[in-house]
Amino acid sequence: MNDRSLSVTEEQAVHRRLMQFGADESLATPMWEERETSVRAIAAHLASLWDAPVGLDDGGDRLILEKGLPHARASVLNLIVTVVDGAAADRVVHTLMGLGVRHPSRAIVLVPEPDSDASPLDARISTHCHDATGGGDRVCYEEVVLTVRGEAAAHLSGVVAPLLIHDLPTHVWWPGDPPFGDPVFDQLVEMGDRVLFDSADFSHLLSGLRRLGTLRRKSGVGDLSWERLSWWQELTAQFFDAPRFRRYLPNLSRLRVRYAVAPPTSRRHDEDDEVAPGVAAPMAQALLYAGWIATRLGWRRHRTLEPMKDGGFRLRLEGKHEMVDLLLEPMPTDAVRPGELLSVRLRSLGETGASEFIIDRDRDDATVATNCDGMTALLRRVAMESPREAELLSSQLTMDVVDPVYEDALRAAAILLASAREAAA
Amino acid sequence: MQTVDRQAQPVVAGKPEANPLREGLRLERMAEPCTMVICGATGDLTERKLAPALYNTLLGGFLPPEFTVVGFARRDLTDEVFRQHLLDGINEHSRNKPVKPAIWESFARGIEYHHGNFDDPVAYVELAKRLDRIDRDRGTAGNRLFYFAVPPSLYPEIVNQLDRAGLAANGDRRTTGSKRGWTRVIVEKPFGYDLDSARTLNHEMAEVLDEDQVYRIDHYLGKETVQNLSVFRFGNGLFEPIWNRRYIDSVQITVAETVGVEGRGDFYDATGALRDIVQNHGLQLLAMFAMEPPIEFGAEDLRDEKLKVLRAVKPMARADVAANTVRGQYVSGWVEGARVSSYRDEPEVAPASETETFVALKLAIDSWRWAGVPFYIRTGKALPSRVTEIAVQFRRAPLALFSRAGVPQIDPNVLAIRVQPDEGILLRFGAKVPGQGLQIRTVNMDFRYGSSFAVDSPDAYETLLLDAMTGDASLFTRDDEVERAWAILDPILEAWAAGEGGPLHFYGAGSWGPPAADELLDRDGRAWRKP
Repeated sequence: MNDRSLSVTEEQAVHRRLMQFGADESLATPMWEERETSVRAIAAHLASLWDAPVGLDDGGDRLILEKGLPHARASVLNLIVTVVDGAAADRVVHTLMGLGVRHPSRAIVLVPEPDSDASPLDARISTHCHDATGGGDRVCYEEVVLTVRGEAAAHLSGVVAPLLIHDLPTHVWWPGDPPFGDPVFDQLVEMGDRVLFDSADFSHLLSGLRRLGTLRRKSGVGDLSWERLSWWQELTAQFFDAPRFRRYLPNLSRLRVRYAVAPPTSRRHDEDDEVAPGVAAPMAQALLYAGWIATRLGWRRHRTLEPMKDGGFRLRLEGKHEMVDLLLEPMPTDAVRPGELLSVRLRSLGETGASEFIIDRDRDDATVATNCDGMTALLRRVAMESPREAELLSSQLTMDVVDPVYEDALRAAAILLASAREAAA
Repeated sequence: MQTVDRQAQPVVAGKPEANPLREGLRLERMAEPCTMVICGATGDLTERKLAPALYNTLLGGFLPPEFTVVGFARRDLTDEVFRQHLLDGINEHSRNKPVKPAIWESFARGIEYHHGNFDDPVAYVELAKRLDRIDRDRGTAGNRLFYFAVPPSLYPEIVNQLDRAGLAANGDRRTTGSKRGWTRVIVEKPFGYDLDSARTLNHEMAEVLDEDQVYRIDHYLGKETVQNLSVFRFGNGLFEPIWNRRYIDSVQITVAETVGVEGRGDFYDATGALRDIVQNHGLQLLAMFAMEPPIEFGAEDLRDEKLKVLRAVKPMARADVAANTVRGQYVSGWVEGARVSSYRDEPEVAPASETETFVALKLAIDSWRWAGVPFYIRTGKALPSRVTEIAVQFRRAPLALFSRAGVPQIDPNVLAIRVQPDEGILLRFGAKVPGQGLQIRTVNMDFRYGSSFAVDSPDAYETLLLDAMTGDASLFTRDDEVERAWAILDPILEAWAAGEGGPLHFYGAGSWGPPAADELLDRDGRAWRKP
C-alpha cells in the first residue's frame, strides 16, 4: 500500500466519524487495490462492479415487485480531482464522502508523482453507498484513487479518459494552487466541462484571477470562494428587495468589507481537517464580493486613495450618482477561518441623510440591520455558519456550466486588486 | 481611466426597478414583505405544518426581513405564549431542529397574537388597526396573506368579516388603512362536500374576493415529483409523442396509505376516501398526467389545461356506477407488522358505518388524445405500503415476433412515475437473457431523484407558502377545477348513497383492497400493479 495513501483502517475511521453526523450513512465496500496495474485492468474491475445479476427474479414468475435492485445507480457526472500528494488525496476522499447523496457518479482522484521511478500505476477502488430516502434502497458510486508515476504522470488525460463514464458531464476539481500553463493541467482542463478551484488557495492571487478569466473561454469555471459568499450576497440583496430601500442603491457612497486573517500567533486548531491548514490568499472572498457589488451596480474605478498595505486598501470608484469609497480591511481573528468575511457596511446618501446597511458576523450568527435617517430598522439575527468544503463542492457540482455574474465579479476583482497594487508599487 | 465592467447590466428604468443584486443569485424567488395572518392559529395545522414551514423558509433565506406573523384565534393568549406554541411546533416537527435561539428571538419579534372571535366585528376592526401599525412599523407594505386554518364552514363568516373591516380588498380598492399592497387568502381542503356545497362556498367567497386572491391548497401539488411530472413530459422530446391512445394501453393511479384514520374518525367517517383523496389529489394527478402542453408555464395556462382534462372526464351515469367503481372498508388485520383494528372499531366512527376507506374507479377521458384509454384510480387506508404513483402501461408489440422461437408473449412496457416515497421513474422492458437460445425477461430501468439530486427537498407547505407570498398560483386549484372535480364524483356519491352503486366490500387491513377491485381490472384483461 502506498504509504501516503489513506490506509483501509484510517478510511474506515473516517467513515465512522462521518456516520456520527447522522445525515446519511456512507458505506464503503471492501476495496480493490492493485499495485503495478494497468488502465485496462482498472476499467475491467469498474465494469464488473455492476455485473451482479440484479433486477431479475429467480422464480421465473412475472416480475411484479420492483424492489429487486440492491443498489440503484444514477449517472449524473464524472469528477476528476488532481492533488499534489497522498495527504491531499486523503483530504479529498474525506470531502467526497461528505457529499452524501449529492456525489459524483464516478470520482477519479489523481496523484501524479512524475519524479518517482516506482511502478507507473497504482490503483485503489472503493464504492460508497448511501441509503436513499429511507426505502431500504442504496445508491452507490465509485471512487478511484490513482497514483501515476514517472513519464505517465505527464499524460494524465490518457490515463483518465478510458475510466470516465461516457456521455456524462465531467467536472475537474483542482484543490490547492493550480499550475496554470502546465501542459498536464491544460490537458485535464480540456477534458472538463467545468473546472473548479478555490481562489483563496492561489499563491499569486492577481495572476490567478486573470488566468481564471481567460480559462473560462474554454470551459466553465467554478470557485469555492465565490460559493462561500452566497449567503452574504443573499443578505445583501435582501436589503434592497423592498422598493423603499432600493432607491438608496444608486446613491451608495461607501462600501467597507472586513475579512478575517490569521493573527500573527494563531493557535487555532482545526478540528475540521477538511480545512486547508493555511489560506494562501485570504483576500479572495472580500475582493470577489467587492467585484460583485461593483459590477452589479456599474461602478467604475476612479483612483486609488490608499494603496495596498497589509492586505487592505482603499479605492475611489465612480458610482451611478455618487463617488464611492471602497475599503477592504483585514482583521486578525481566530474566530473564523481566514478569508471569511466578518463585516459588510454599505453607506448611502439619501434625500434626508445617510443610511447604512450592515451585516456584522459574530461566529455562527450575524446581525443584520438597516440604519435609515437616524433610525435603526429591521435589526435581526440570522444564521451565518461557514459551509463545509463538501457543501461548497456539492452546490458547485449542481451549477450550470457558465455563471456570468461570477465571471463579471472575477474580472472586476482582478482590476480592483491590480489598481491597489499598482499604486503601492 | 480603467473600467471595472463596461458590460454591467444597466438598471432598467420603468416600472419598479428590479433589484440589480438579485441577478444570478440562487434565491431568485424572494417573498415580498408581508404579514401572514393565521386564522385559527392555535390549531394543529399551525403547530405541525405552518410553523415548521415558516422557520425552514426563514433559514433558507426566503423570507424578507419585514415578514410578520399574526396569529388570530379565539383562545386568550399573550404574544409570548403564542410564540412558545410556534416554537414547540418547530422543535417537534421541523426538519431543521432544534431552533437556533438567536435566530428565533429575532424572528419572534415579528410574531404577534390577536385574540378574538371569528364572528365578532370588533375583533376585525382591531385586527385592521394592528395590520396598519405593522405596515408602518415593519414595512410590510400593505401586503397581507390570510391563512384559513379553520373548518371550511367558517370560511364565509371570516371572509365577510374581513370585508366589513376593509381587510379583504387589494390595496388599490381598500377604503381604510394602507392603500398599497395585496390581500391573498389561502384555504385548506376539503373545499366543499359535493358539487352544490362547493359552488355555494365558491360563490360566498367570490362575493368578497376575486378569484386571483384565493389560493386553494392541495399539498400534493407542492410535491417535487408532481412538478417534475411536467418537466418529464414537456422538457423531454422523447415521451410526449407516445403520450396518447396510440401507444398507451391504460393508466393506473395509486394513492395508498398504510395508516388508518389516526384519530380523525369523526372527520373521516363523514368524508370517506372518494372525497378525501380522489376529489383532490387523485384527480389532480390525473389532470397533470393527461393535460395538453400549456402555452406558457404560468398559473392560468396550466390550470386551463388541467380544467380541460377534467371537463373531458365524463361523469358516470348512475346506472354505470356499480360497474365502474368498487368501494371497500377495512377490517382488522396487520399492517407493517402491527395489528390494526377494524375501521368500525375506531374511535368516533359509527359502529355500522358505511363509509368507504378504499375506492377503485375506472374513468374515461373523452378527448382525441385519450379516447379508449381507461384510467384506473385506487386509494385506500390500511394498505400494505405507503405509495403514490402513476403507472402507464403501453400497448404490446404489434407482432409476437419471438413466439416462433418458443417465447411467449412479452409483458407490455410499463412506465411508473413514483410520487412518494422514493420519488423516481421506472421503465420496464424486455431483454434477452444472455446465452444460447432465446429467452426474454422483463428488466427494470430505475431512476431515482434522490440519487441524482439533493434529497432534502422542501416540504410541500414551504413551497406553497412561498408561492402564495410571491403570487404564483400555479400549484393551487382554481374554483372551476374544484367544481368540475365534484361534478365528476357527484353521480358516484349519489349512487352509493342511494344504495345503487354496488355493495360495500370488506378487506383485511394490510391487503391491497377487496377482491372486487381486482375483478374491476380483470374484466378488462388487466391487473393492478403491486407497487
